[in-house]
Amino acid sequence: MAARDPHGVGAPWGAFHVVGKPNRKVDGLAKATGTAVYADDIALPGMLHAKTLRSPHAHARILSIDASQALALPGVHAVISGRDLPIKYGVIPWTQDENALALDKVRFIGDPVAAVAAIDEDTANAALKLIRVEYERLHAYLDPREALERHDPAIHEGHKTGNISKHVELAFGDVDAELAAAQLVVEGDYSFHGTTHAPIEPHCAVAQVGADGLLTLWSSTQITHYVQRALSRVLELPAQRIRVVQPCLGGAFGGKSDPFSLEFTVSKLAMLTGRPVKMLWTREEVFYAHRGRHPMQMHYKTGVSREGRISAVDAKILIDGGSYSSFGLVTTYYAGQLLTGPYDFKSYRFDSTRVFTNKPPCGPKRGHGSVQPRFAFEVQLDEIAEQLALDPIELRRRNFQGSHVRTVNGQRVTSNGFLQCLDEVSRASRWSERRGKLGRGRGLGVAGSMYISGTNYPVYPNPMPQAGIQIALERSGRCTVFTGGNDIGQGSNSMVAYVVAEELGLALDQVRVVAADTDLCPVDLGAYSSRVTFMVGNAAIDAARKLRAQLVEALALEWKIEPGRVHLAEGRASDSGDPARSISSAEAIQIAEARFDTLGSTGSYNTPQLGGDYRGGTIGASPAYSFTAHVAEVEVDEQTGRIRVERVWIAHDCGRALNPMIVAGQMEGSAYMGVAEALLEHHTLNRFGLHAGPNLLDYRIPTSVDTPELAALIVESLDPEGPYGAKEAGEGPLHPSLPAIANAVFDACGIRLRELPFTPGKVLAALRARKAAAPQEAR
Amino acid sequence: MRVLHLKVNGDDLEVAAPDHWTLLEVLRYRLGLTGSKQGCDKGDCGACTVLLEGKPVLACMTLAGNAQGRAITTIEGLMPAHIARGGSGPDPIQAAFDRCGALQCGFCQPGMILSARALLDRNQAPTRAQIREALSGNLCRCTGYTQIFEAVELAVAESLGVAPAPRAWEAPLAESRAARGES
Amino acid sequence: MLRMPKFELERPASLAEALELLADASVESLIVAGGTDLLPNLKHELFTPARVVSLERLGELRGMRELEGGWLAIGSMTRLDEVAGDARLAARAPALAQACSLVAGPQLRTMGTLGGNVLLDTRCQWYNQTYFWRAALGFCLKKDGSVCHVVEGGAKCVAAASNDSAPALMTLGAELVFVRAGGRRVVPIADLWLADGAMNKKLESGEILTEIRLPPRGAGHRGAYGKLRERGSIDFPLLGVAARLELDAQGAITEADLVLGALAARPVRVRRVAEELAGLRASSNDLDAALGRVAQLAYKQCHPLPNVPGDHEWRREMVPVYVRRTLDAALARQGPVRDA
Ligand SMILES: Cc1cc2nc3c(=O)[nH]c(=O)nc-3n(C[C@H](O)[C@H](O)[C@H](O)COP(=O)(O)OP(=O)(O)OC[C@H]3O[C@@H](n4cnc5c(N)ncnc54)[C@H](O)[C@@H]3O)c2cc1C
Ligand code: SF4
Ligand code: FES
Ligand code: FES
Repeated sequence: MAARDPHGVGAPWGAFHVVGKPNRKVDGLAKATGTAVYADDIALPGMLHAKTLRSPHAHARILSIDASQALALPGVHAVISGRDLPIKYGVIPWTQDENALALDKVRFIGDPVAAVAAIDEDTANAALKLIRVEYERLHAYLDPREALERHDPAIHEGHKTGNISKHVELAFGDVDAELAAAQLVVEGDYSFHGTTHAPIEPHCAVAQVGADGLLTLWSSTQITHYVQRALSRVLELPAQRIRVVQPCLGGAFGGKSDPFSLEFTVSKLAMLTGRPVKMLWTREEVFYAHRGRHPMQMHYKTGVSREGRISAVDAKILIDGGSYSSFGLVTTYYAGQLLTGPYDFKSYRFDSTRVFTNKPPCGPKRGHGSVQPRFAFEVQLDEIAEQLALDPIELRRRNFQGSHVRTVNGQRVTSNGFLQCLDEVSRASRWSERRGKLGRGRGLGVAGSMYISGTNYPVYPNPMPQAGIQIALERSGRCTVFTGGNDIGQGSNSMVAYVVAEELGLALDQVRVVAADTDLCPVDLGAYSSRVTFMVGNAAIDAARKLRAQLVEALALEWKIEPGRVHLAEGRASDSGDPARSISSAEAIQIAEARFDTLGSTGSYNTPQLGGDYRGGTIGASPAYSFTAHVAEVEVDEQTGRIRVERVWIAHDCGRALNPMIVAGQMEGSAYMGVAEALLEHHTLNRFGLHAGPNLLDYRIPTSVDTPELAALIVESLDPEGPYGAKEAGEGPLHPSLPAIANAVFDACGIRLRELPFTPGKVLAALRARKAAAPQEAR
Repeated sequence: MRVLHLKVNGDDLEVAAPDHWTLLEVLRYRLGLTGSKQGCDKGDCGACTVLLEGKPVLACMTLAGNAQGRAITTIEGLMPAHIARGGSGPDPIQAAFDRCGALQCGFCQPGMILSARALLDRNQAPTRAQIREALSGNLCRCTGYTQIFEAVELAVAESLGVAPAPRAWEAPLAESRAARGES
Repeated sequence: MLRMPKFELERPASLAEALELLADASVESLIVAGGTDLLPNLKHELFTPARVVSLERLGELRGMRELEGGWLAIGSMTRLDEVAGDARLAARAPALAQACSLVAGPQLRTMGTLGGNVLLDTRCQWYNQTYFWRAALGFCLKKDGSVCHVVEGGAKCVAAASNDSAPALMTLGAELVFVRAGGRRVVPIADLWLADGAMNKKLESGEILTEIRLPPRGAGHRGAYGKLRERGSIDFPLLGVAARLELDAQGAITEADLVLGALAARPVRVRRVAEELAGLRASSNDLDAALGRVAQLAYKQCHPLPNVPGDHEWRREMVPVYVRRTLDAALARQGPVRDA
């Protein structure tokens, strides 16, 4: 068996015993009882506490740093600055432009400049106030249009394209000719404002250096492997001398998928002091670390036939990247590459440009790169439906691309349950009876989307597997699975346990999962791009199936029966031909251990060769795509301008739901986050370049009374290459929330909202404009 | 630094801490009760919720010295209290959160569970609107709250001996699986 | 974790002991009640007292008692959830109970006190920030700096009085009892305020607010509170509207009062409300138009500034809408008015 072999969508032994059922999570009770250990729960003997000094200027040159007074403060053990960690890093190997502490320039208010390790936080804070930094202020770019137009001063000196972080222009088919021939062309501007992840756990890291020089870092990261590589590069240590451990993680959503300043600084401070060092960021610092969803200004032009068939889509997108590259190269591609489903485009062109500005760096947030374009396009589709007097669901049906097809930009789409998703939301919302008929102020809106289940682009190119698994099985009946996969709350450790329990016929409580520890676990690339279930799941099947074969063979020999008669399920091994013959799985393991010696296996997964045959054609190429449709029901208060989302029906094609309860949780959490981005959240900087409200009071994430009723409707399309047919559920279901709300508002009161977020002020302005345009219907 | 006399999860404890420390800091960094979480620094998120005399309060906004003389319950205290009352395993509300998938990253959940516990202690059969209201000081970023509501409703249903309401996904999924010939 | 500056905590066991501690002018002291306003402000280094005096143990400041002449005294240390849930208040001061029920979120209401709410510091987007943030800004007039960022060139701070209880207490004609070592004063709440966001209350050093007193109200008393905010919980008000109406036995309006909060440095009483409404009956055909005129009066008299986060133009537009809804609620014996 090889890393790229599919394992089939069913249970080779007939029916599933674990997979597909709403089982408990492996870590649920530890979390519910407060015993789960998160990074800040770690306390080591003699541990020092570190704090970061940050730039008060949006753009400035550092002329000098004087830390002598800080060092003299009793209780201070070390102070470091950029010169102590001069090597640049960045998650994408071609755009490494970050320093753990600013080397000679600061690029946004909050950019880290120096760090102190002291006996406690109060002493470290006192020391920060004693560090003298002299700056020469530079012009700060707060408007992406300005950054596009000029690059003196440059935010990154020496960057080849000035303040342009990345530009991608790709065209498929003859867009101009198709637009000219189209019977209807709809064109418009849309904008997305910028939001952040706001996991409830702030970033935290603890480093310890052993007497033998081995560095251990516990960090609230979703990319243990990349952090290990980045530490190795910056600290100039061989990777095998670095152990990175992800403890239980308190939420991430993409906000912990870059290597961060604190990981390098605590490591360096631990190396310098010989003591463990912890840094816990304040909530404000988390806002400065950001990597949130990019603000985008988008122009879309879509050509359709009279029947509503899409012939051309032409997009131009300006992306405000903030001060560093982060994943920006990928973002710039994703903004165009991920739009080409679930609809068939005859021709497509996009031109997307990411610029640097003097703001906290943007990066990947749940639905990386594609939530904003999806918003624009799905609203535009609604406008097309309106102009053609077509039902918006019918319009989407007519353009459905089908399964097992190639998209206009050369991506291979396998299973595609989008039509069933439309059916589900249409049925559940009673769309045809209710849309357009709810009366003034109430409405329904629909939107669809597609997302990747991992990508075949492994961030740093290499021919090795993207995901690996190791299993140890021992005579007590205990099975331990080692995975590099990062469980960030999405339940990937549970998923691994389900797969292995299923394959080996174990009860769930026999399986332990050891995860995200670079000393103990095989490499996995991390929790991003919705890759974990697909890739780690496949690797787990690969590993477990090998062990299963040994168990089956040993029992068949022992019982002198055909291997096909050996049945492993729910902690027992039995002979399907003789119901009286049944032993516990511990006994079965003993028989196998006696025959084959100590039991264990490894497995892995790698993507097939995928993607369009052009530069960037592999970015956005996924082994399988998930599909989603939402219907949102809204009520608009025309006096206050407030939109109240009553309910969202979320239908999502996740392939097979390995645990429908966990899938539903991902769908609900995604939709919640999308609704929040549409209505409430806004990562804004004020006129001074300061974050307008870097705390959880002013950055308003919805409470339990602000969240609509969410109905998760699971569609299982069974992907031929996914683990038992599974794809993804963690990111796709976010996308349609935003446009579905905009489209529902149109149904409710006839206004088109093209600019996010939909604040009451904007709604009132749109209502006034509508009344001015059509005074006769005003009331 | 002064010696505080705190009553935590039924135990009378003495602990030394500076006056400007909050109850959250003392619980986490002096007593090792790290189940209470810190999410926002200043009263905005609810992750640090503990019960004082049975009522939910924010430990990050409570001076440790002022928590003296009042019974403090942290998430670590629920299971032992349940066992002491003759139960076994975790408190039913903890078990319900687990069984409903309500624990994603889990970081908000100690506070959330304590708010839910306090709600059920004063109202045995809250409506969904009352559940929403009672939990509205505990931010969760993962779940969209739905499975949290379902967990509280499951605990209620079980205590009343009735069946919990089915979840939106159950029937359609069962139907489409049956249509495929899977159970 | 964001940390508070160091201080000594004193927990006096009696009012006398507390007053004595506060009378000691040699130590810079601050009072802490529930701490839900003070602690964030300490974490933001807006205050750096040497000593913090807690009123936690002063049981005599907690709870309610009837006074002579039909007045009701609410101890300053009474928790907001106790005020919100009190059956007596629901009848005789609905606006107050409703306002307290909408303060912050559930935990903060079990911690925060009515006294602390009355004495809440004013709020501003340029002020309620960390030391780092404010230093990066170059500070502002209210604390450590010399300019105002809300009204550029302004000489006076316009930070917003954001306490939900204040407008309600204003309409109710509440009186505040302050006690200090060797003295005591009773202040009608309308006289407490100064139109200066830097310090919007006339307070004397070393005094403790012990009681909030409500005058008697008849069976025709109607009141309601409306709160505009972005979320349905946790958030401070963007606008608070308290309404009071007194009806006679025939159901005609005899008195009317309307006070708005969160717009300016002090709660704002809308003028000429009683003139518009007096004599009208709930059933009267003219009532609707009169209520509309009151809403417009409020709109004309209020000019919210961009002091607290949010869209101040929208806040202004919401003034007549919330005034109208709150008056309607008061007449219908409903409320609070909230739409999120
Ligand atoms: C996230 C969050 C949201 C909030 N939302 C709201 C909201 O929506 N509406 C609202 O009104 N408030 C809100 N608050 C503020 C606060 O919770 C309430 O105003 C509360 O009522 C304050 O009371 P306290 O007892 O906690 O005050 P404290 O913080 O203890 O005191 C406040 C001030 O009053 C002084 N003081 C208190 N009591 C006395 C006394 N008896 N005598 C003399 N001086 C005294 C203190 O020295 C201090 O200056 C919010 C707070 C937070 C953290
Ligand atoms: S109103 Fe002006 S002076 Fe007052 S706190 Fe705000 S910025 Fe400062
Ligand atoms: S940590 Fe206490 S409320 Fe957020
Ligand atoms: S489960 Fe992650 S924040 Fe609630």
